[in-house]
Amino acid sequence: MRIPFISMFMTSPFEGLLEHAEKIKECTWAFQQAIECHITDQCESFEEFRKNVDNFESQADAIKRRIRGHLPKGTLMPVDKFELFRYLHEQDKVLDAVEEALDWISFRSEPGIPTALHKDFFLLVDAVLDPVEEMCRMVAEARKYFTNFSEKQRRLVKDIIHTLRQQEHEADKVEDGIKAKVMNMQIDPVTVFHMIRLAETIGSIADHSENAGDMMRAMLAR
Amino acid sequence: MTPEYYILIIGYIFGFYMAWNIGANDVANSMASAVGAKAITIRQAVFIAGILNVVGAVFIGSHVTNTIRKGIVSTDILADPHVALIGALSALLAAALWVSFATWKSLPVSTTHSIVGAMIGFGIMAGGFSVINWAKLAAVVMSWIISPVFSLIISFLMFKTIVKLILIKKDAFTSALRLSPVFIGLAAFVVVLSFLFKTPLGKTLSMDTWTALLVALIIAGLVGYAGKAVIRRFTASDQDDSTEQVFRKIQIGTSCYVALAQGANDVANAIGPLAVIYFLVNTGTVGAKVPVPIWLLLFGGVGIACGIGMAGHRVMETIGTKITTLTNTRGFAVDFAAASTVLLASKMGLPVSTTHAAVGGVLGVGLAGGIEAVNFRIVLQIMLYWVLTVPAAAVTSMILFKVLQLFY
Repeated sequence: MRIPFISMFMTSPFEGLLEHAEKIKECTWAFQQAIECHITDQCESFEEFRKNVDNFESQADAIKRRIRGHLPKGTLMPVDKFELFRYLHEQDKVLDAVEEALDWISFRSEPGIPTALHKDFFLLVDAVLDPVEEMCRMVAEARKYFTNFSEKQRRLVKDIIHTLRQQEHEADKVEDGIKAKVMNMQIDPVTVFHMIRLAETIGSIADHSENAGDMMRAMLAR
Repeated sequence: MTPEYYILIIGYIFGFYMAWNIGANDVANSMASAVGAKAITIRQAVFIAGILNVVGAVFIGSHVTNTIRKGIVSTDILADPHVALIGALSALLAAALWVSFATWKSLPVSTTHSIVGAMIGFGIMAGGFSVINWAKLAAVVMSWIISPVFSLIISFLMFKTIVKLILIKKDAFTSALRLSPVFIGLAAFVVVLSFLFKTPLGKTLSMDTWTALLVALIIAGLVGYAGKAVIRRFTASDQDDSTEQVFRKIQIGTSCYVALAQGANDVANAIGPLAVIYFLVNTGTVGAKVPVPIWLLLFGGVGIACGIGMAGHRVMETIGTKITTLTNTRGFAVDFAAASTVLLASKMGLPVSTTHAAVGGVLGVGLAGGIEAVNFRIVLQIMLYWVLTVPAAAVTSMILFKVLQLFY
């Protein structure tokens, strides 16, 4: 406080944003393990993985609150504060979707996912993990852009956002495939509902990653 | 020994103490952006700041010393050497006390403001409110608002220019190198001009304005191109942050420039009252205009350097860990704005605080979107202490004046 020069500098929200994104990445890995565990049937640690994901979620939540709580009125940043909050909100929704998917599975852990759908769900999980990893890269690269303002860097971030859209589209296709397949399986309606909703929830992980990309695009606008 | 000599000795001690405080506390203003952006190490910063503060104090410093003393407070109060002696001493003591208190309580006060406030307090005690030149005081108060704003505008424009002309370009490094003579030259231009117009040495050359401008321009051009050659020699173009590397080299120069300006500007805070005491004791009277002897400026400069040397490390370490979002391009814009503001203000004879200039510089870059997060509202807090400092130092000075009158 004695030196006004120092007290002007605050912790960068971008640092938190990146930390938050990386937590999500770690969380989705745990999510993948949980799903694999649930599908392969030989594993009893699904609940453990789910707790793990919950744990990551609460850590990420703490980061989110920290970012929001440390940007008082009068903070000057390269981006608009509310755009930043909207972005963070969307990034957080990715995490919520992950948690929700596991919760949804746990509501009806028996009899589990029908064998015929195992491969499709593996594919879907892989398809939604790509955009999450891409989103993480986007935050890191965007932070670099806000430091060096280079046109080249801006293009790079825009390319990542473009990739995000494509990956979301791919995930959508897999999700639609599952839904069509489930609808035409001669199984009990509860399983049908359970599977449809599960596919949608997992698919929304990619949706929110894509939305986060769109928010980032708004922040990049000159 | 007469009591006058005791007062002179006390004056020396407290003058040195004030200079020490300036060095210990205000060194952050000149070196913070360079250290924060990792252009120079802590050791280098302490070394550069120490030497250049002395140089600035000795060769550029005399102008402001006079202004603080005779500008705001009428010289009438100096007519009585007895009163003047007590007054100068109480002003010096009051400023030193207030600065110590502020350091103890971690308040962001300016040494410049402390001494101005203390002088006002002494003026009021010696001659009543009528001796205060309110117009001049208003101009000084205005300068406290104008200087950060001015610095803010310069750094804002400077950073925007850097973004538009360099950073945004495909080959930013080449653009940076190509334009480096302009940036180096600009800094050199201001330094040379202030040297020619203000320093005793420059005045003996007695150039008219146009010749001086021409000379400054030529020197700036030469320094600019020499700087470019040096940067080209020592910067690798294949690194990720090679543009920042170019500005890192330039920033070493600009932080020297700020240290120089700071020495020139701030030395007056410590030795202004001391100069009055010195003249009263030696000549018995003090006129409207007293040339400040070079060795007294040197005394102040060395005091500042001691402060930097002894306490600078601690301050720098805080800076190095706290300011992580400042890069070299930003640091350059801040440095350039702060130094130009300080040199310009001290040329106009206004006791401007380097703190304000540096704060304004950072906010300018922040407004231009150059820093990841900067707290604008801190300005309001700082402003509160600007406003508080003057009356606080004035009242302390008044009380001390009364107390000293009892003894002497």
